[in-house]
Amino acid sequence: MSDISLSSLGAKVVVAASSDENHPPENIIDGNTNTFWMSTGMFPQEFIIRFAEPTMVSVVTVDSYNVKHLKIEKNTTQSASQFEFGTEKEFENTEGHLQSNALSLSGSSATHLRFIITRGYDHFVSVHRVSVQP
Amino acid sequence: MVKLRARCLVVGDAAVGKTALSHLFNSDGSLFQKNYSMTTGVELLMKCVNIPDTSDSVELYILDSAGKEALVDGCEKMWGEPSLLCLVFDLTNKQSFTNCSRWMERVRVCNKGFHIPGVLVGNKSDLTSRREVEASAAQEWAQNQGLEYCETSAKEMENCDAPLRGLARAFHSLYHERREAIQNLSLG
Ligand SMILES: Nc1nc2c(ncn2[C@@H]2O[C@H](COP(=O)(O)OP(=O)(O)OP(=O)(O)O)[C@@H](O)[C@H]2O)c(=O)[nH]1
Ligand SMILES: [Mg+2]
Repeated sequence: MSDISLSSLGAKVVVAASSDENHPPENIIDGNTNTFWMSTGMFPQEFIIRFAEPTMVSVVTVDSYNVKHLKIEKNTTQSASQFEFGTEKEFENTEGHLQSNALSLSGSSATHLRFIITRGYDHFVSVHRVSVQP
Repeated sequence: MVKLRARCLVVGDAAVGKTALSHLFNSDGSLFQKNYSMTTGVELLMKCVNIPDTSDSVELYILDSAGKEALVDGCEKMWGEPSLLCLVFDLTNKQSFTNCSRWMERVRVCNKGFHIPGVLVGNKSDLTSRREVEASAAQEWAQNQGLEYCETSAKEMENCDAPLRGLARAFHSLYHERREAIQNLSLG
């Protein structure tokens, strides 16, 4: 399932803190690690993915660069609010190639996932792909 | 179009003119406070700077931090992780220049190995007869620390937007550098 992009399944990025027109948040869910969303300064940074329908999520895989700490929250409501804690992880610094980290959630269904990057290894971080497994 | 955001820390000894410079920059050169009013904490000012010849901008969150020794510990907790550094001394006060090393130390501690673009500012250039620090000495020290150097007079409104405008430009270049590196990386 992870080779089918989230966007082709109807998912959307509904909120993203940073803006560079050339590297829009849609790049996170297009299934392609060549394209990316880039943060444009200061922490924390966040983005929210909305699924087309309630979706079982047990593992979230994140391809990124320079992310130091990531927290994932989730909810099951129609609006992008009232999140509960999902999981968090300290990423290793990978100079010269992308980070790829799998984070497990407790296998419940979600309508939104909120990604909060609390710290980075540099001023700017990038997220290349987020994929989920049921 | 890119909108960048940077946390710009303004530090230096008491009464060197940090607040005067910050307010002048923030108000586009319309506010100079003649009477000294000591900053006792960290004052936050926000200013959006357009980068010349682009459609990009940098939103600066300027943290004007108290210079008085007894207040510094309390302030450091509020610095967070600065993106940019503006270190100010008074050209008519040698001690305020000597103390710049200590300010650099403090900033390095809260900064966790990030490279942060910075500028050293010699302020009160209008008081020429009372000058105690030569431009060449300041320039040399700045260079050794990896800082740009410039002189300003908040009183005469001379050159006052140069330091922070320069920092905004440096942050913008850094972004483009990093973005290109990531681009190359992601293409394998
Ligand atoms: N002649 C002259 N006076 C200046 C200049 N800049 C600031 N002053 C004066 O110096 C005094 C101190 O300025 P501030 O900006 O309050 O100094 P500060 O660095 O913020 O001091 P703290 O808040 O105590 O850390 C004030 O009386 C200012 O009017 C300048 O360029 N020339
Ligand atoms: Mg002050």
